[in-house]
Amino acid sequence: MNAPKWLKTPKGYVTISIAAFLFIASIGSITLMGIVNSLIAIVAAFVTDSIYCALKNRKSSKDSTVITGLIISLVLSFTTPWYMVAGTAVMAILSKHLFVYKKKPIFNPAAFGLLLSIFLFHPGQSWWGAFGDLPWWMIGFLLIGGYLVTERVNKFPQVFAYLGTFFLLLLLLGLLEIGGAADALRPPFINAALFFSFFMLTDPPTSPAKYQNQVVFGIVSAIAGIIVYAIFGGLTYLFIGLMIGNIYSYWKKLSTSKAAERRQMRSKTSRRVISG
Amino acid sequence: MKKMDKKWVLLCSTAIAAVYAAGYYTTETQAADGQPKPYMANFVQSNSPTSTHTDVTSRQTQSRYKDGTYTGMGMNRRGSIEVQVTIKNDQITDVEISDFAMHYSERDVVGLPEEVLQNQSPQVQNVSGATYSTEAFQDAVQEALNQAQNA
Repeated sequence: MNAPKWLKTPKGYVTISIAAFLFIASIGSITLMGIVNSLIAIVAAFVTDSIYCALKNRKSSKDSTVITGLIISLVLSFTTPWYMVAGTAVMAILSKHLFVYKKKPIFNPAAFGLLLSIFLFHPGQSWWGAFGDLPWWMIGFLLIGGYLVTERVNKFPQVFAYLGTFFLLLLLLGLLEIGGAADALRPPFINAALFFSFFMLTDPPTSPAKYQNQVVFGIVSAIAGIIVYAIFGGLTYLFIGLMIGNIYSYWKKLSTSKAAERRQMRSKTSRRVISG
Repeated sequence: MKKMDKKWVLLCSTAIAAVYAAGYYTTETQAADGQPKPYMANFVQSNSPTSTHTDVTSRQTQSRYKDGTYTGMGMNRRGSIEVQVTIKNDQITDVEISDFAMHYSERDVVGLPEEVLQNQSPQVQNVSGATYSTEAFQDAVQEALNQAQNA
């Protein structure tokens, strides 16, 4: 595939958007450390992916590996030590290959790696690439990139269901004065939620395609995330919410596949009866 | 699959923005409660890390700290840390984290009070991957020392 054609693919849209975020956030933060971390994450992800694919004789998806590395480097603080960045990328890529259904990952690789890294490394995720430490109006960049990507991957129902439920539940928490709803609705947490919903929740292999299932997926992910936030606070709520949503998507694929198998069996049996 | 109509995208976006705005204004008071008090804001602005260190050291030689236990708070966009610093004969004799409300793990900064005691200064080494908690802790200790100077 040539470059202009690739740029029009969903992966092309995502790569260009998050690479632009990396560039803008680096200028805003006046540092090159984030770019260095992104290179570390991409190299670690590439090496892990290449070794695994060579050992298991599988086909490697280079662009999704780059996307995973970029997302990891935008979420982890740019002051995060290199071994934590590399470790997170390695765990993300391994999850992509180890937890699969019909050759597709069950969990969003970047979210899985970032969630595990919180427990293993305590890396201090800052979501700096979502402009969490920069002026509030920079959220405009997130919305522009986010809407372009969501439109391209056809996931608006999912994103709207997620954000609608997420904000509604935070409004309820705010009215009841439970948990840190005020924090979650303000930078840097609102930046994190928007980046997450536009670029991680919408990952095509780990989320449903049908509109009806997209809506359920969005609602389930938001409810699970807000429950975790209300009880524990911290920074794991977005990722845990997505993991629950990913499990719903997996279950949906599994049940659809089993129903199709049953239909196939029934038609074979009826054909045998007719011919016999 | 057919894509969502642009009118629906606009309508849903507006509805979500309205719910967000309602949540934002509902939590305005809670957010204001978590903001630094004016004197703390001034304090953070007027003291760079190096000048703070020099300031504290010079004041120690002039015996400016009053004995007692002082509470200080440090906060940033990721939460807040409250500490209690005990001063005796111009020496920091005890530092305790009395309230940890960061969005990170408390385990990240558990060794910092000991470091303050060793250095006799709020300046501690940045903990890998816990920059925001380290900064909030330093600000909290500095604020407590500031109170000890003004007591």
